[in-house]
Amino acid sequence: MLKTLLISFKLKNAYRVNSILYACRQIPLIGKLFPPDVYSMTGFKVFAYIISILWQFFTMFAFKIAYFFFAVTVWCGVFEINRADSPRFFLHLLVPLTIAGAFVNNYMFTPEKHKYYAMIQLGMDAKSFTLVNYFFNLARHFIGFTVVAIFIGLDNGMALWECLMISVFGIAAKTAVCPIEMIRFKKGKKLATKAKLNVLTMLLGIAFIMGLYILPVFGYMIPLTVSYAVMAAVIAAAVIALPYILKFKEYRALNKEILNAEFVSQMDSKAVKQQNFRKNTQKNISADADITSDKSGFEYLNELFVKRHKKILWGSSVKITVVLAVVLTLLCIISVLTPKEAEELNDYIGKSLPYFVFIMYAINRGMQFTQALFVNCDHSLLTYPFYKQPKSILNLFRIRLREIIKVNLLPAAVGGIGISALLFFSGGTDNPVTYGVIFVSMCALSVFFSVHYLTIYYLLQPYNAGTEIKNGTYRIITTVTYLVCYWMIYVEVPALLFGALTIVFCVLYIAVACLLVYKFAPKTFRIHS
Amino acid sequence: MRFFIENLSKKYDDKQVLRDITFTFDSGKIYGLLGRNGAGKTTLFNCINGDISSDSGKFTLLTDTGSRELMSEDIGYVLSTPTVPEFLTGREFLKFFTEIHADKIQDLKPLDVYFDYMGIDRIDRDKLLKDYSHGMKNKMQMLINFIAQPNILLLDEPLTSLDVVVAEEMKQLLRSLKGNKITILSTHIMDLALDLCDEIVLLNHGVLEPVYKSDLDNNEFKDKIIAALREDNNA
Repeated sequence: MLKTLLISFKLKNAYRVNSILYACRQIPLIGKLFPPDVYSMTGFKVFAYIISILWQFFTMFAFKIAYFFFAVTVWCGVFEINRADSPRFFLHLLVPLTIAGAFVNNYMFTPEKHKYYAMIQLGMDAKSFTLVNYFFNLARHFIGFTVVAIFIGLDNGMALWECLMISVFGIAAKTAVCPIEMIRFKKGKKLATKAKLNVLTMLLGIAFIMGLYILPVFGYMIPLTVSYAVMAAVIAAAVIALPYILKFKEYRALNKEILNAEFVSQMDSKAVKQQNFRKNTQKNISADADITSDKSGFEYLNELFVKRHKKILWGSSVKITVVLAVVLTLLCIISVLTPKEAEELNDYIGKSLPYFVFIMYAINRGMQFTQALFVNCDHSLLTYPFYKQPKSILNLFRIRLREIIKVNLLPAAVGGIGISALLFFSGGTDNPVTYGVIFVSMCALSVFFSVHYLTIYYLLQPYNAGTEIKNGTYRIITTVTYLVCYWMIYVEVPALLFGALTIVFCVLYIAVACLLVYKFAPKTFRIHS
Repeated sequence: MRFFIENLSKKYDDKQVLRDITFTFDSGKIYGLLGRNGAGKTTLFNCINGDISSDSGKFTLLTDTGSRELMSEDIGYVLSTPTVPEFLTGREFLKFFTEIHADKIQDLKPLDVYFDYMGIDRIDRDKLLKDYSHGMKNKMQMLINFIAQPNILLLDEPLTSLDVVVAEEMKQLLRSLKGNKITILSTHIMDLALDLCDEIVLLNHGVLEPVYKSDLDNNEFKDKIIAALREDNNA
């Protein structure tokens, strides 16, 4: 048993250490500190090993703290549960959740990589490997849960024995469930951890959880005695279940079912993510046989691309425009009908126009456009020399820029008109130029985002041949773009000033971006290995 | 026409993949590029095609009009996994390609003539390329290169995953195309290299070196190649 545990530890550590070192090598700049043969260098391996141990220690408590906080503690405050009722409220939630969790999150039945490596690839004895790891996992769970339960439980008015009982009940529930699932497996039924959720099960699950949380709002909670009785019954069931688990003979078959082909195909999460990304993007190509084009050359290529991707380009743009139009019209009607609210709204628009930078950012289709461009078009055509010639790159950039500006301009124009109208109906402004500036600045922002995404795509070409984003600078720029736009929500500037500044900034940015593309894109717009 | 590679080097991290390569290729010949896994065959092709930048070296083309730097339009590159724009139909792709090259293609024929030449059925010509089989995508890639007539044709494992009929058709096509161009074909399949190629070049330890057949028969030549690869590897 001890030998199995040691081998199991070594195996888990080996791939955890390698995964950490691999992840470190992928970090921009810092990755360069890790040489290519880092996997054979003791110093780095010890460093990764320490990180691995610390992570294991951290997760032993962190997830339990998060569970207690989000599943129970936070609701104590929301429902204003008094201290005397806390134990009843805690158990009202924890007992059913723990039983449900024992079915869907039970180490015995969850597919994990180290199980696959040990039992399937290395051929270790399935029974001893499973049991040793199962009990180790239970012990780890028990320690983590006990510490957190005592820490949080005592703070919320529970007795020490109640906290300990919750912990014992936690591992008992997981144990008691095992024979049920094992018998179901023998009968050829699907394990709970493998069950595919259909709409009905999902609705029932949601109803169960919502019911559990809504009942206390109306003063209904499972009585303490019932919770105690259930916990005691589950602990007794676990004692009965234990010999069955120890005597169970079909661990190999059980694990083959858990670690089935579907799991193996999902093991390389990076490849799966990439495959799904490609599949989803390719799905967006319209198979409509009536799509044609009368144009020629690159205009022909572009027109067919836009027509065959109408759903993700124009489809989304039109939907966003309709939603914006409806919302802004409703706000205009509200402004006319309720002068008091209108005054507040007028004041808000007057100084919070930067908020709309974030909205323009959120509705822009630039990112989706460049993704589809790469996966469905440039990914293949960039392997043809004619496509990489500076003249072709710049010609197509110009055509694409025009196209993406058109797609994004529709919601921006409607948004600009809507906000100006809203300003007018909510009380107007002293300076009528503001209406025009709002409209132009919304359109300028839309053009800015279109240029921005297409420029960084052409200058950085962030995808590799396998359609993964591999460019750290691209990630940094998109993250900074998001953060700046988000920060704009909190900026308060007079509308006229902000609008004028936005227009100036956008014009300057667009000019600089286009110059950069014309100078550098012929060299940077390449497929990367 | 002659194609010169001079002092080409490429390093990934600490691994020197291409080591100061200097080599000359002559037109009218198919070169079989052989090397063990990870020897750097695809890296060499990517450097020539300009997809990755080399650490040093230059590519020159000597034509009837004199010597000049290699340009992207001189190269045709057929990848082992065929890449075609999947949102276009076969006919649309061909139309787009011929329009872009209208000033360079001599004696442009109706598109169906090209499809007939390549043996692509009428029913498939107006299907989206995403619905083409691997072999058909490969045929489309070859067709594009057949029309473009590049000076240098790079083929990375081009026949590996094709069925026997398509593979044989491709071989015939490559033989008929070799005319006054340089064809470099990388492969792991020794028989294909011996059957199709006029010259065998080994890429090992980052260096290109020719292997001469002299008066050996095919089996003896095979043994010589394998021995050369083994020796180099044990060196």
